[in-house]
Amino acid sequence: MAPALCAICKTERANIKRPKNHARVCKGCFLTLFEEEVHHTIVSSNLFYPGERVAIGASGGKDSTVLASVLKTLNERYNYGLELVLLSIDEGIKGYRDDSLETVKRNAVQYDMPLKIVGYDELYGWTMDQVVETIGKKGNCTYCGVFRRQALDRGAKMLDIKHVVTGHNADDVAETILMNLLRGDMGRLARSTNIVTGDDSSDVKRSKPLKYAYEKEIVMYAYHKKLDYFSTECIYSPEAFRGTARALIKQLERIRPSAILDILRSGEDMARLVPGESASSCGCKGKSKPPAATAAEDDGGIGGCGSNGAASGNEMAAMEKQLRENEAAEELEVDVSKLSLAGRAAESETDGAVPLKTNKNSKPVTRQTLGNCKRCGYMSSQEVCQACMLLEGLNKNRAQIQI
Amino acid sequence: MASTSPPSTSSPAAMSSTTTTATTATAKPCIKCRSNPGTLDSRGQLVCHICFQKFISQKCIKQIGLLNKDVRSSSSQSLSAYHLSQKNSGPPQASSRRYLLGLSLGASSAALLELLNENVEFQLSKGRNAPFELEVVHVSCAAGAGADGGGGGGGLEDDGKGRTTTEREKVEEVVLKRLGGRYPRFEFRVVYLEEVVGLETVDWEGLGLEDFAGSSSTSTTTKAEKLQQLFDNLPSTTSRTDLLRLFTRHLLIAEARKSHCHALLLGSSTTALAELTLSETAKGRGFSLPWQINDGVLGVPSFSPSSSPSPPSSPADAGKKTKMEETGMLVYHPLRDALRKELVTFTKLAGQPTPIAELLPETDSFTTTAAVVSHKDLSIDEVMVRYFAEVEENYPSIVANVARTTGKLMRLFGGAGVADGDGDEEGGGKAVGEDGSEDNDEERLCGLCSMPLDVLGDERWKGELGEDSYRDALVVDKGAKRMKQRICYGCERSIRG
Repeated sequence: MAPALCAICKTERANIKRPKNHARVCKGCFLTLFEEEVHHTIVSSNLFYPGERVAIGASGGKDSTVLASVLKTLNERYNYGLELVLLSIDEGIKGYRDDSLETVKRNAVQYDMPLKIVGYDELYGWTMDQVVETIGKKGNCTYCGVFRRQALDRGAKMLDIKHVVTGHNADDVAETILMNLLRGDMGRLARSTNIVTGDDSSDVKRSKPLKYAYEKEIVMYAYHKKLDYFSTECIYSPEAFRGTARALIKQLERIRPSAILDILRSGEDMARLVPGESASSCGCKGKSKPPAATAAEDDGGIGGCGSNGAASGNEMAAMEKQLRENEAAEELEVDVSKLSLAGRAAESETDGAVPLKTNKNSKPVTRQTLGNCKRCGYMSSQEVCQACMLLEGLNKNRAQIQI
Repeated sequence: MASTSPPSTSSPAAMSSTTTTATTATAKPCIKCRSNPGTLDSRGQLVCHICFQKFISQKCIKQIGLLNKDVRSSSSQSLSAYHLSQKNSGPPQASSRRYLLGLSLGASSAALLELLNENVEFQLSKGRNAPFELEVVHVSCAAGAGADGGGGGGGLEDDGKGRTTTEREKVEEVVLKRLGGRYPRFEFRVVYLEEVVGLETVDWEGLGLEDFAGSSSTSTTTKAEKLQQLFDNLPSTTSRTDLLRLFTRHLLIAEARKSHCHALLLGSSTTALAELTLSETAKGRGFSLPWQINDGVLGVPSFSPSSSPSPPSSPADAGKKTKMEETGMLVYHPLRDALRKELVTFTKLAGQPTPIAELLPETDSFTTTAAVVSHKDLSIDEVMVRYFAEVEENYPSIVANVARTTGKLMRLFGGAGVADGDGDEEGGGKAVGEDGSEDNDEERLCGLCSMPLDVLGDERWKGELGEDSYRDALVVDKGAKRMKQRICYGCERSIRG
């Protein structure tokens, strides 16, 4: 039997089965298709303007490396006129980040882009290794995620850049949609589907040009382009909601490859059904209203960590408790057992467990308004920004240990 | 509010291992009545059988109360939704409510059956009239061979062409007979899945299945064959399970209309609604979730074959519009506040003289927790069932929260509302009121799942995904223009893969 030919060019051998739709194509056509699809996303969402300076959030992992490579290619092919800079965060995780930063440094040379590295230690006085030493492995992803969101923005500000692109892919977005469904957080679900978070009114705009790209295709692209990337996952593990959502996505993709895109479609449509959320998912609709939350604070609801990015170790258990308390309160029954249960829950939450974000699940979506953190002056919807809150806890702990 | 039939306290052996922890040794008293020994763990509380059953019963009665009110108020407004579907027969007496219960023979719908019976008996014992009449319809799905999950399974034997009775159908027959004996007040009926062929609530032509349309006169055998063929040609197990679910609902709604019912009652538990939320999201039907999850009036389209003289056939668009008439049906999920595992336990406790669970078919052939065959052969629905079975175990409130928050999404018609700019969709989103069949000029329903089409979302999606989007594959297909926007994104996926 003659080898199947590429469905696109009909001349080369089809040696790639696209994970997204199982189309059989040749290597060359695959690379072009992939790039063109990202180009389409960029154009249809009006992501950039000519002359814009854009920072690529670069971790050295596959997503951001592919993003850097594709943006460089497209910038040249279509004369976007962008000035691209690599921006890396050094979380201070030995055996993971120091190695991956070496990759980013090589990328900077390969792609001929300037590189800026911002460290948690210089920004916050804490490396992630120190954080983990203090609070343990559970829940540390919360810290990492919150710190990174600000770190990227601060790094961008140091460079006087107003637009950061991240390597979040379709799998990440789908995962976030399912996760927020499970958490019952419709506001965050709505925001997470946006390709752009933050806009002219906020300091730094975030976008995810790979929003529609399958993780598997990103890996394929990196492989066939022979890109230099770092493939070890973060040594601190994902947990609870995100972990569970990730497992679901993988299973769904196996059953029906289109499921990832289908979840994105559902998520975008549902975003329009959330009372009080702005409707557009693509940020291209002219005069958009200020987003409900800023990129810095919320990152569009996507976990800051490209590879893992989970929250509290006992996130599900904690939420379960909280929900039960709410239920108990709703029933308006003076019920001794429930009270004591609630009391126990409150206790265990204060004793060292991770401070969860307050649970707004059973209330309608609230719109957040933007202000500045009283402590660090950074933009925040609360009086004190999340990073400062977490830092406060950490510093208290450190003081205690020293005593 | 209490259950009238005193629950049998004598069957601790029947207790499920899930909700229940048989701590018979340490006889701590029930936290609610403080007299009986607590034997069940109900949402973190130790309760006795009686209080547990009351708890479930109250959850159901609360919803039934809402439904009764809903029906009363809509019937005083001439019950427009219902009324429209009753062209030949006079309007029903407003005083006698008539409901149709979809009975899958699983634990949840059986529990609902028992609870509805309790409710009626309780009212009668108080010297009042029965609050409603009930018809119970079981859709026999043997023809959906190869589909799993959601009451599917089974399947026709190879040589069994058409209406030869399968093993499964024999079991169903026996079970329904038993239930009919137990609940003589209610009418029981079986409807076979193949009866969906020819139903005008499905846009068969739009699906490219012209020979399914208007074939009400066709023999049952042919229908079964046709349906079997359709299922065989579907691209995946997920698609088969999906269509099975949709067809079942079509049949239930058709039956409800045929027998002049005011509402269709489904036994979906909290857990089932959470599963539905995630599986429909994964199938691309996020837009219609507010219709699927909430109680209320669902639009029921009627597609007449185009061969019949259609009025002034103007260009495609207007022509299409005249072809679809729409009425409505009230759909309720009275067990939306109970977890599946609670309902399983309930069926093992409630009912006289024996618990209802003992009247139901052997679980392994009917429920969905059978052993995994191959991951590829699982459907998306099945994946979610398994997933939530786990979550329910440790985090029941999270399960409940999924269904509750999803229910807060707004119902938008045709994705309209944002059309006039500024993203101010609230203005356009029309809430479905008691007379939900009105104001549907803008609204067009999917030819397969009957949910509103999301015209705006379709357009935007196409813009975002570009030329390679799934619909463009169809343009090459056939009559793509006609195809377009007659079925929703999710149904498109199910049919074409």
